[in-house]
Amino acid sequence: MALSALARALGSLSLSASSNMAQGVRPAHLLSQTVKQSTELCRYSSLPCSRLLLTVRKTSFCFGAQQQPWRGILTSAALCQNSTRWKQRTKYTIRPIGKKKTGGRDHTGKIRTHGIGGGHKQRYRMVDFQRLNFEAGKESEFFEEKVMEVRYDPCRSADIALVAGGSRKRWIIATENMQAGDVIKTSRTIGRMAVSANEGDSYPLGALPIGSLINNLEIYPGKGAQYVRAAGTCGVLLRKVNGTAIVQLPSKRQIQVLETCMATVGRVSNVDHNKRIIGKAGRNRWLGIRPSSGLWQRKGGWAGRKIKPIPPMKSYVNLPSAAAAAGTTTS
Amino acid sequence: MSKVIQHGVRSTEPMLLVVQVGNAARSAFGNYSHSRRCDVSGRRFFSVTCALFGRGPPSRIEKKTVDIPGLERVTYADRMHYVPGLAKPVFPDWRRDWHDPHHYRGPKNEEMKLHKANPCYVFNQRTKILEGVRQALWLTKSKLIQGLPEHILSLAEDPANQIEDQGKRVQQAIRHSCFWDTTAIRPKRDRFCPVLLRDLLHLCGTLQLKHTSLSKSILAENYRVAALWNQESDVFQVRGLIGMLLNIMTPLPEVIQSGEVLATENHTLETFCPISPTIDLQSTYVYDQKNDTGFRDGYPYPHAHTLFFIETEDSAAKFKPEQLRAKMIMFAFGNALARAKSLYGEHPQVLEQPVVVQSIATDGRLFQFIVLQLNTTDLGPDTGVKNLIWMDQDQLLYDYAKCRPLIKKKAVTMAKH
Repeated sequence: MALSALARALGSLSLSASSNMAQGVRPAHLLSQTVKQSTELCRYSSLPCSRLLLTVRKTSFCFGAQQQPWRGILTSAALCQNSTRWKQRTKYTIRPIGKKKTGGRDHTGKIRTHGIGGGHKQRYRMVDFQRLNFEAGKESEFFEEKVMEVRYDPCRSADIALVAGGSRKRWIIATENMQAGDVIKTSRTIGRMAVSANEGDSYPLGALPIGSLINNLEIYPGKGAQYVRAAGTCGVLLRKVNGTAIVQLPSKRQIQVLETCMATVGRVSNVDHNKRIIGKAGRNRWLGIRPSSGLWQRKGGWAGRKIKPIPPMKSYVNLPSAAAAAGTTTS
Repeated sequence: MSKVIQHGVRSTEPMLLVVQVGNAARSAFGNYSHSRRCDVSGRRFFSVTCALFGRGPPSRIEKKTVDIPGLERVTYADRMHYVPGLAKPVFPDWRRDWHDPHHYRGPKNEEMKLHKANPCYVFNQRTKILEGVRQALWLTKSKLIQGLPEHILSLAEDPANQIEDQGKRVQQAIRHSCFWDTTAIRPKRDRFCPVLLRDLLHLCGTLQLKHTSLSKSILAENYRVAALWNQESDVFQVRGLIGMLLNIMTPLPEVIQSGEVLATENHTLETFCPISPTIDLQSTYVYDQKNDTGFRDGYPYPHAHTLFFIETEDSAAKFKPEQLRAKMIMFAFGNALARAKSLYGEHPQVLEQPVVVQSIATDGRLFQFIVLQLNTTDLGPDTGVKNLIWMDQDQLLYDYAKCRPLIKKKAVTMAKH
């Protein structure tokens, strides 16, 4: 590819020198065209390419026409094997996207994470983690969607559900008892009374009753769900204290988030995921897990089961210190 | 502790310290040393053979060029090569001075001549609508009746209208398409489906000897239909390149008389909240408002009789029976609406003489039949006279047609079962 770029660039050079002044030779426009093509080629790659700046002066009219601006040309092409273009799509689609496997390798080509490689081919389905995602121009207090199908997702342990509402369809993480034909609600109002939420509905934490099991928890309002997304997991809403809510995560750690953060009610689907038995080494290889190093190593203090106290409550709320202290002292 | 020699370090930035971990851990983690994390992008390390730092690809932070009016930026444009310290020159946008079709960027939607303020929802030949027949019924403001109309069924049952040796000849048509067309054991759907349809149409054509009015028809392929209507403040269009259309000189007679047509006013259209009826339709702001039957004025066979749809895809792009029926309804409606608007004008009205269009769709084995009677072009409000659709769905022509060669005593026999 580099050779062709160079050949194209050099081939478009016009060799007419000042001796052709009488004929009035036009400057070579084609040179800049090929330069632009090769720069565009390199723009798509993340690695820098060698840049050869051609110091060719374009021929000019003998009548004193101004010199055309020069541009650099590229003589090498970047590696396209490890390009991440497949995950730079910005427009949402429900169509599955072909996924490139990395094998645990980083941008330099060396293994950064061991034990990853091979496995069945997977296609990535863009899951919308922002449950409170209004359709363009249809903002309201709440909206309903209908579940069209619940299916297996190769990229995660939970199942995903195709929901349709208004004129759009999207993928979301399915909850435990979600089936095709269910109607789920997403609301953003926080009333005085806690809502009696059905499984699969999504409300802000301030609207949910204390003790409800939640999943797909946002920690910053509007950012999208980042916690409690794995199969069978659920968090518990422990307390609501002046504008914030305290949630217990599946690891028993407690976090304090703003009450406007959205969360879905219920447990995540595929509840028996942790009870599955792999059965054979081959099944692990199908999942893309390579065997660990067979070298026997003396284990040090880092190995073995550790029984530690739960770390202190993490607060994702920027409150004035007095209110924050009042919220944390009673944890 | 060993210090890594770095190049290109400014005095204000901290030096990195490398902590050597024990050999066992090094082999476990593969030469990955622990270090304090600093911003290491854009550094080159000459004293080590492998990259110990640089967690990710070097981040390309492009420096913002500050334009101070009056101050000229000194660039290396004049020098024609990169000079460290001088600014990067900004060249004007280059445009090719001749039209290259391989590198043509079309105008934006807003600059197009046909750009409109309101979107139009288009149903084309590749649209698979989510709710299927229910959504098509809402879009066409129709009432569904299961089963074909009686007079059509009586026509089919009448032995005078049947072809001689009908059963045998239909079986021969199936065998031709599935077994005799190619030497392959199982021809692909896009091979046997059109052959089967053409054979059956040929059989129907042999009835012309008995009923001469059938000869006043023509089969047209690959024509484009366009129909436009307003419904509940949205603009809808049916556009597409259809498979096959049987055109006739005189219009089809109406199935139901006007008295019963008015009775459809009481029927309410089925909605499917929370899904909107415009789901899966192509939404576009650049569209041409036209109604076109696909044939010019003065065409000797102006009236559409039957639409034929063949479903030949074998993969996930295949139309499922529900989607295929929805497509049949929409295109039959499109043809009927275009015809009605050309006959009676663009103004929305209840038609005195309803327009009837039929449609048949097949995927080689399953057949779907539809008869659509267009009673009204007033599709704006939800109430009023409705159009009527008679549907006969999922009719099997044959259970299976398989052929596998058997080799017995070194002789090949074709076992058909």
